[in-house]
Amino acid sequence: MWARHLAASRAQSETAVSEMMQAFAALSPHLQSAQLQSQQITAALSPVDGTVIGLEQACAQALAPLRADPAVSAGGAAAIDAALTLVRDAVHAIEQINRPFSHETEAVAAQVERMYIGFQYQDRISQMIALLESDMARLQDAVAGRAADTPELQAWLARLEDQYAMAEQRHNHHGGADSGADADNETTFF
Amino acid sequence: MAKTILVVDDSASLRQVVKMALTGAGYNVLEAGDGQAALALLDGRTINMVVCDVNMPIMNGIEFVKAAKQLPAYKFLPILMLTTESQEEKKEQGKAAGAKAWMVKPFAPTQLVNAVSKLCT
Repeated sequence: MWARHLAASRAQSETAVSEMMQAFAALSPHLQSAQLQSQQITAALSPVDGTVIGLEQACAQALAPLRADPAVSAGGAAAIDAALTLVRDAVHAIEQINRPFSHETEAVAAQVERMYIGFQYQDRISQMIALLESDMARLQDAVAGRAADTPELQAWLARLEDQYAMAEQRHNHHGGADSGADADNETTFF
Repeated sequence: MAKTILVVDDSASLRQVVKMALTGAGYNVLEAGDGQAALALLDGRTINMVVCDVNMPIMNGIEFVKAAKQLPAYKFLPILMLTTESQEEKKEQGKAAGAKAWMVKPFAPTQLVNAVSKLCT
């Protein structure tokens, strides 16, 4: 009965993550699209040639000879200045609008990263339960007299410990109080 | 042309997480649920890299790496082990088998994408 409950718990956790993954898979392209748009707007506003801010500079440069021409009337010069001011104001307005948008998409990207990490804990739960299931099956065989050999308690526990994959399992096996989660999150290149 | 990564893991949800991280970075992804199924995909098609779990049924990750390295067409295929195993002894086994890198789950997508872009041929 315990084995069935464990199997059901494992299946429920897999279903839960599968459902969340499917929902996240549907959301993900929209998040990526928003992030890409933000990056494109930010890139467009960067102070390089051909961008919106570059446009402001290009307009100023293009009109500079005309603005400096003594033949241009005072009214013409004022019109040029007014046009340049309009361009400058428009560019700055777009920049101000994009700034919080950019911060928000960065914040969303950081939370998405956390979700990716969170989803992976189901795999750890599944591995832990699978090991319990197999050890309980072994116990059932031993109790029913079906096992070829039934080791003493310490040997039994040693055999169980030998099958652990995670630091938490080894830590919990010896009664550790905290999680004992893996600290090794670096990639090892050979 | 997008590079193709073979993702080998017995956990469907984990494969999905890896797939979403890699496709989001512009890679194509093939999937296999164990080492034997992954070997069957090394049939001459272009695969640029493998991301492989260690503890799997039928054929585990270390056995898969050893078998893949025996195939002339895939002898130099870079393989990243992505596993909950963090023991040095296991890492040494992976290195001896021919893996190029070892990453412990849970991983951050940027960490995986960085490692894949570094190793992917």
